[in-house]
Amino acid sequence: MDKLAKALRDDAARIDVKVSAELDRRLHASIENAPSPAARKKAVRKPATSIKWASALTGVALAATVIFVVNFDQPQAPAAVVPPLQTVTGVLPRLNTETAVFTAPLTEELENLEADLRKAERAVKREIGLGL
Amino acid sequence: MATDESRLIDEARAGSVSAFTELVEAYKLRLLRFLLTRCTSHADAEDALQDTFVNAWRYLDSYDARWRFSTWLYRIAVNNAARLNSPVTEPADDIVDDRGDPLAACIAESERENLWLSARRLLSDEVYAAMWLRYVEDMSIRDVASVLDRSNTWTKVNLHRGRQVLDAELNKPSAKEQKAYG
Repeated sequence: MDKLAKALRDDAARIDVKVSAELDRRLHASIENAPSPAARKKAVRKPATSIKWASALTGVALAATVIFVVNFDQPQAPAAVVPPLQTVTGVLPRLNTETAVFTAPLTEELENLEADLRKAERAVKREIGLGL
Repeated sequence: MATDESRLIDEARAGSVSAFTELVEAYKLRLLRFLLTRCTSHADAEDALQDTFVNAWRYLDSYDARWRFSTWLYRIAVNNAARLNSPVTEPADDIVDDRGDPLAACIAESERENLWLSARRLLSDEVYAAMWLRYVEDMSIRDVASVLDRSNTWTKVNLHRGRQVLDAELNKPSAKEQKAYG
């Protein structure tokens, strides 16, 4: 040990310190009144369990609220009002009508086309000299 | 002794007040001596000592056995002393410590000034604490750095500076010698 280190150690030993009886009493009383590490550990754990339960319950309550709100706000489809058949039939006109004939103009068109075709056929034959 | 200490720590962790009281008995004088050098009054040093042991008892389960118990305890003590010395902590007007400088009051008159009194005059609070922990408590550089929450490099450099300052003070001729040799 060098000179300075020895001097520092010796001088520290020359600092005359005493713990008074009153301070001793205070120390022991404050330690006995403070929660022990084991008790503190338990106290720290307790809220963790209750927080778990509280969060689970909050989650369930929140889910229920969301389901309720979503279903409550949904616009309801209007109920179909079906009038009695008798009132309907009383209002409707009778539907006994003649069948319409739509084939006549088409037949006429077909005849025209066939005539055109025959005319064209004759023209082609004349062109290539097959004779009349 | 270390085994005894770890046994006491284990028992105290399990809730044994008597085991912790044994630890208090082992450390109270050393800690009070250290705190007297850190606090501005004897009352503050005693309060810091009480807070240190109460905090250690309450948070004993957070103590990491990889460190020396004294390192952990001193760290709590340094923080408590700093809190009491902080400008935020208003001094109570009705409590007047008439004993003056708590450190000087505990040192008997001698031929030369006690080096720790010189250290307090010449060094910063942190360097002073580093010197104390290294040379009185015999802590390693790593432990001193941990107590002061500083790097190993900072601790080494400042211990070296502190040594230089105190070495010069130690080798300075005393007032008596100066008078005798003109």
